[in-house]
Formats: sequence, C-alpha cells, structure tokens
Amino acid sequence: MGKGRTNNLATVIKGTGHASSVTDQAKHFEISHDRRSILEAPAVVAVPLLFAISGIAIRYAAFASVTAEPGFESYARALCRWDCHWYVDISERGYESFPIPNQSNVGRWGFFPLYPMLVAGIRTVFPFPTILVATITSIACSYAACLIAWPLLEKNMRAYVLYCAFLLSGPFSFHFTTFLTEPLFVLLTSCVFLALKRTNYLVAGILSALLSATRLVGVLVVFATAIQMFQQHRAQDGTTLSFPLWLLGRPDLLVAILISPAGLFAYILFLYLTVGDGFAFLHVQRAFGRVAGNPLLFLWDGLSAVPTTGWLPTAPQWSALAALTGLALSVVLAVRGQYGAGLFCAVCIILPLITNLASMVRYVVGLAPLIVLTAILLSASKLTWLAALVLFLSACYFMTVAWIGGYLALV
Amino acid sequence: MPWSDTLAPYRRAGSFGGYMVAAVLAVSEIVILALALHPDVNADYRAYYIDRTTTCLNRDALGSYTVGQRVSFRSDGAKLAAGMIVCGWSGPVADGTHSLGETSRLRLEIPPLRDGLTATLQMAAVIRPPQMSQRVLISVNGIPIHKVTLSGKEPTTVSFVIPHAAFANAKALDMAFDYLDGIPPSAAASNIYKRSIKLVSFRLDAA
Repeated sequence: MGKGRTNNLATVIKGTGHASSVTDQAKHFEISHDRRSILEAPAVVAVPLLFAISGIAIRYAAFASVTAEPGFESYARALCRWDCHWYVDISERGYESFPIPNQSNVGRWGFFPLYPMLVAGIRTVFPFPTILVATITSIACSYAACLIAWPLLEKNMRAYVLYCAFLLSGPFSFHFTTFLTEPLFVLLTSCVFLALKRTNYLVAGILSALLSATRLVGVLVVFATAIQMFQQHRAQDGTTLSFPLWLLGRPDLLVAILISPAGLFAYILFLYLTVGDGFAFLHVQRAFGRVAGNPLLFLWDGLSAVPTTGWLPTAPQWSALAALTGLALSVVLAVRGQYGAGLFCAVCIILPLITNLASMVRYVVGLAPLIVLTAILLSASKLTWLAALVLFLSACYFMTVAWIGGYLALV
Repeated sequence: MPWSDTLAPYRRAGSFGGYMVAAVLAVSEIVILALALHPDVNADYRAYYIDRTTTCLNRDALGSYTVGQRVSFRSDGAKLAAGMIVCGWSGPVADGTHSLGETSRLRLEIPPLRDGLTATLQMAAVIRPPQMSQRVLISVNGIPIHKVTLSGKEPTTVSFVIPHAAFANAKALDMAFDYLDGIPPSAAASNIYKRSIKLVSFRLDAA
C-alpha cells in the first residue's frame, strides 16, 4: 500500500501542479521512494535469512538439550514427529492399494500428495535421506513464503520482521521446517492471496489447484477467489443479481474458478484408480478414529478439560483456545474488508473441528492470512512489536523441546 | 481499419478457447465426481470404511492349527496367535490379546473332520463401572454358536460345541466375537476403540 499510495500521490501532484515547486516536490517523492525501495530490497531478503539461521540454531539447541546424538540429520529426524512419518513414507513408497500391506487398516490416503511428491522430485536430483531433503525444502518454502508476504504486509517492515520471526524462529517454527505440509501450504496460500490482490485470477486459480493437492482444506480458497471477483464486479457498479451473468461472460474467470479444485480432483481420480475409492482420503479417517460431531461440543469439551495439577492449560484446552483465537482473527479479517481471507480461514478451522480438536493448533498457525494479520496487529506499537519478537524467539526453544517430547497439543 | 477491429477475431478466438478450457475442466470434474460417488471396492472395504457397519476390517489371514493344540494369546504365544488374528484385536500382551471395536475375528485352517469340535476359550471381561459384565456372541462361519456373559477381572474358561454343519464344507474356521457391551474410552470416541474382552487361550478338540 505504501508504494501505491506514494505513486498515487506523485501522480496527483504531477497532474494538478503547474508551479515548479510542486513538480520538484513530486520528483523528490519519487527519488526518495526509489531510494527507500533500493534500501529495503536487501533487508527484505536478509530478514528471513537471518531468522532461518537463528531458528535452526535455537531449535538445534533445544534438540541438543534433550538428546546426546549430534548432527543435522539426527536433528532433522528428531523433529520429524507424528504426521511427518507418513509424509516420509509417501515420499519414499507412494500410496498403497487395498488391501493394505501388513494387515493394516490405516492407509496413507488421508495425506495429500503434492508436498511428498515435491520432496521425492528434489530427492531424485539430490540423493540424500528424505528427511534431510524435506527439512531443507521446508525451510526454503517458509523462506519463500516470507518474501511473498512482504507485499501482503503492505511493505510494513516491522510486521514483516515479526512474520519472518514467527515462521522461521517462532514458537511453532518446527511445523514450518520439518516434513509437514504447512510450509508449502503457507507458501501457496500467500501466493494465491497475492495473485488475488493483483486481480490475477488465472494465476490464483492455478496456485489454488496446487493448494488443493497439498491439503484438503486448500480447495476452500476458491471461495476467496469468488468473493474477490464479486467485489471487483461490485466496484464496477455491477449488481448482485448481474454477477452470475457477468461471470459467464468472462471465460478467463470461469477457467480460474474451475481450475482451482483441479489438484483435489486429480487426487480423487488417482485414488479411484489405485484403491477403487476416490474418497478414500475421507473414508480412511475411520481408521484414525475420527468421528463427526458437533464442533461446539468439541470446543466445550476441550475448554472444560481443566488441569488436575498446576495452572497450565491442558492439551485440549490449548487446542480449543487455538480454534477460538483463529475464528476470532477470521472475524477481524472480515471486519477489515478481507472477506475472502476471513471466510477461507474460518472454514479451514471449522471443517477439521467437525471431527475433533486434534492438530488444531497446527491448523490455525498454518493459516497465512491469520499470521499476516497477527503480525500487523502486533506491530502497531513498538512495545508490542518488541515484546512479541522476544516472546517468539524465546518460546521457540521451549516449544521445540515440547514438540520433540511429543506434547499432544502440538500434534 | 482501427486496431481494435484487427484484434477482434483473435479476441473472439481467445474467448472461445477460454470457454473450451472451462468446459473441459467442468466435464472432467463432473466425471471424476461421478466415479468417486460409485466406488469400485470389495464388500470388506465397503463395510468398514464406507458403510461403517463393522469395526473389524476383514483380511486374508489364515492361521495353521492342529486340533487339540492349546494356543496362548498372551505374549508367550504371540507367533502362533498372530497367524490366526484377522481383525479387532490388540496385542498380545502379558494378560492376553485385547479386543478392539465391536467385533473380533480369528481364522484358522482345519483338516477335513467327520464330527464337530469342542472349543475351549479362556477369556476375561474388561470392566469399568457401571459396566460390570460383557456379553459376547460367538459365531462360526457366520452361524451363531454360543452366547456368554463374562464378569469379573479373572479369566473364565468357556467351553461350547461347534456342530459339524458349521464348518462341513469350509476349509477354514472363521470365529467371530460380537460384543454387546463394549466400553468406549470416552463419550466422543470412535467405536473402533471399544474394549470388551481379553482372550487368554484358545483350544479346539474333536467332539
């Protein structure tokens, strides 16, 4: 916004001013803006790099404090917890057909293919252990997600620093730097919203297709695209009733919408051909013991799971609080006019909440629009910004220890 | 001729191409959805994953067994017991093999026999107040054979006759245990986690 605003201001001054002093002022604006951009560019590249390095150092220190085995590979393996093992398996062995070998009920079908495929592809070029390749790829994805966030954060350097710190050196940075889908999900979500911000719907559609092959909820970003299109239509004095006709008259927009779920449909087709059931990714949830229920009841059950000793919230309480915070931030997004992002985040939280609170913390912290919003809100004052930065960096150590120890709320 | 008129045919072609791509995408997605709504799976898959009519996913397990042999379902008999376990069991551990879900199954190869068999099982109920007993319905090759109510934590010896008709034309003896009083670990937990009994030992003798 900063750049746009400066440019607009310069245009206005150029357009209306006849006096030479006004023209000089405009030139001064442009020159100072260019200088600022030149100075900012290295910082934009360097900030996430510094946090990537500090994050590795902090998490390694946490790893070293709980294990005697040294080395980066041991560190990468120690951080590979819970779903990470499934992704390693998929990356190395692909998906199984039915019956599942070793008389298991639990197929890998519930885990979406794009990220393990990407890691498998990179591993063919760099033949190192999967977890090493995945860890480096995840760090690279999170780094790229930071760069993409720069324009989404309206080029607000304070918010940018906080965003990068959260992703790469923050309390949940292990989610974004091990073999989970979160790094790619955050990167692709940021790319989709950047494309939408630039009203480049076709690019947003193609990226949405990739997002829908990364995680099931990725397909929901199509709603954000449709809302953005509707907002554009309204801004052009279109009525609500004329929107469907306007959309049908724009083949580029139709392609953008229809291509968005292509990743999910490709996976459904793959499962149909290998397992015989296109919805195997949903049906296999039974073997994981997931049962559909009332999200409000799950939230209540989580909140009322009070600790028997001490004052620290229990794992279900953390999960319920994460869901509520995520939903509240989604509302804030909507209030700020980001209806598409707000709806996307809210549905991404509510959909898994239908089964239970499992992995809720990870799901919430992996929603890029919420991280962007939080970074902007916390950087509103220098004091909150500094406090948040210190908190992120120090919590990184303790949360990594908890993650390695298998703390249930972080699953 | 204005530029706009020169470009008009290309614009029309681009627009037509866009509609074609949209149509191909829409049709592909409808076809894939239709395929997904009509899964091509076997009855076992459908019963467990789709219809959810069983908690025990049938598998092609077939244990070797000699009539008169006692098979321990504690840790000490893990190797022999493992071959017989089809589904709905967890373990074996020190106090036996625990049932998991609403049904458990064992399957073993049997030689051709002229008469029926006597089954002798040692089982213990899983108890959590107020549930103080466990009703178990035992079937062989789909035919209900015996119903027992287990109570108390100590293993109970249960003996019953399996009529020859139940396995006369079969190469395998498929024994199913249906639990009527399974205990879920929590109110919201899936029924695949229900606990009912611990199987300690298994033996078949000629009747």
